[in-house]
Amino acid sequence: MSANHKLEQLDFAVIGHQESWNDIKAFINGMRSDDVGDLSLEQVKNTFGYIPPRSVFKMKVRSKTDALIHGVYIETFIEPDKLGMQHLRTNITKVNEAIAVAQSLNAKIIALGGFTSIVLEGNLSTFNTTETKITTGNSLTAAYILKGIEKASKKFNVDLKSSNVLIIGATGDIGMACTNYLKGSVKNFLLCARNKRRLEKFSNEISEGGCSVSYDTDLSRLLPQADIIISAASSNDIAIEHYKKPVIICDAGYPKNLELKIAKTEGISLFHGGMGHIGYGYDFNPDYTKHFYRYPLPHIGHGCVLEAVVLAFENKFENYSNGKGNISNLKIDDIYAMSIKHGLELAPFYNSKGLWT
Amino acid sequence: MESTNHQFKSIDEFNVVSDVFSQAITGELIGMSNFASLSGTIDDPHEKMEAVEHADSERQHAEGFLAYANKIGLNVKINLNGEYWGRVRKVFLKYSEKNDFIACLIIQEVMLEAYAIAMYSDVGKALKGGPSKLFISIADEEKEHMDHSTEILREELEKNPPEFLKKFEEIHYDCMTILAEFSATSKCESSCGVCQGDCLKLSLDHIDLDVTTMRGNALALYAKAMDNIGIPGEKSIQWIANLPA
Repeated sequence: MSANHKLEQLDFAVIGHQESWNDIKAFINGMRSDDVGDLSLEQVKNTFGYIPPRSVFKMKVRSKTDALIHGVYIETFIEPDKLGMQHLRTNITKVNEAIAVAQSLNAKIIALGGFTSIVLEGNLSTFNTTETKITTGNSLTAAYILKGIEKASKKFNVDLKSSNVLIIGATGDIGMACTNYLKGSVKNFLLCARNKRRLEKFSNEISEGGCSVSYDTDLSRLLPQADIIISAASSNDIAIEHYKKPVIICDAGYPKNLELKIAKTEGISLFHGGMGHIGYGYDFNPDYTKHFYRYPLPHIGHGCVLEAVVLAFENKFENYSNGKGNISNLKIDDIYAMSIKHGLELAPFYNSKGLWT
Repeated sequence: MESTNHQFKSIDEFNVVSDVFSQAITGELIGMSNFASLSGTIDDPHEKMEAVEHADSERQHAEGFLAYANKIGLNVKINLNGEYWGRVRKVFLKYSEKNDFIACLIIQEVMLEAYAIAMYSDVGKALKGGPSKLFISIADEEKEHMDHSTEILREELEKNPPEFLKKFEEIHYDCMTILAEFSATSKCESSCGVCQGDCLKLSLDHIDLDVTTMRGNALALYAKAMDNIGIPGEKSIQWIANLPA
């Protein structure tokens, strides 16, 4: 690009992907002019899984302090039905290409949204972070999850200190951060993860710190005891059956599809967790929000994305959240305080049916 | 010709390979004609000589494919006025008649070469022995053409970004619409005038290929070529999204 383009440094870049092929279809058809009509799902699948990552729209975000920052959304075109381990190499390549796009646009910090952060949790060394800083955004996601749990508990008069808190995906970066943060604040931890060895190790660490812990790789054995559930796992295989009533559920996984796995929602208060609300708004250019925005209120965003926004507002360009198990309570408190300072607050409670009444 | 050569497992495979060579030879001849027309749009004597040299390079590619096709007894059909190739040529002439060197470069060196490089690479991987080497080596040579033009186009973009993007967009819809139809699975109703018998796109499985992958790889390379020139992703994704599929 020209020297003029080089001078236009972006404050942040968000790297992401769509949750489903239907979302990609809506997004792409939103770009198509009326005279060419819509593409079918099949046509979209047959084309856009091949397209290399690229910037799709520019963003301006406003702070409570009147600051204005500029960013870009980079779509990886990671295929929503190819998030499994067998596609890890392909997906890491796509994330790497997306990072290269962000770097070519001179973004100062990159947020890795959704699955892209999961790809990175154990692979930061794979990526060149000398020029551009990268954050998984997991610290602010964890902060919004925890604030959500605190707020929901108060709303339903549930005493955290007397509660059994189930963490699904306990050995993931966010699951570990939430567990560590809640140490000493809950009656008993119920920890669930797929990898038995890692789960056992982490549970022993928590237990050695003086907390009561039960753990199991089989979710069904823990569910009946849980008063509060934080689901921080990105799995399509989670089934919520035979649960205790009432129960508060924070669906903080990716995608947020837990409700679809629950046959009867009686006694369940479920909200989509890890989400923030950008109080002073944003502008997209081009603006495709009507084609992909799915939230019940304007200006809602994922904590992982908003972490980069907050860091950019603060001129704090560093790999704030990286690796796995590195999120301290201090980091959570700090990023949350910074978030509030700029008018980015916990999103109102909502789920797929809309806002909580 | 109705007999199968000994190198082919079936008549279907023979027909598909024949059609693949027919498309490649026709495409190279279109490229040759385009470069020859392009030479007329250039004032700079060195660039003019280079365009003629490129035309000769495309001629050599066509001859290389043709010689190999004859050697293994393929049933080749060349038709520069076929449904898609004829339209591509007309679009090229529209710009060359206006002496628009940059537009000609965009059509030939970005759009057509992206398709040629990606598709030759895929065919090269699918075929075995001599044909494989031939397609891969020609793909490599075409890549050099593309790299050379990328430099020129990048400079052109830097001179006046809005004007360049406007021009590129117009050419994109003129030319890439044809190439997108050429490679779309939904466009098999009528003969393209080059393939013989069934539509090649539906028969590629006989050489372990499929049109979806080939089309996807071609569009991916086109997208990367636009990135290398410096075209913003917001533009390129919109342009690609509006193509027929």
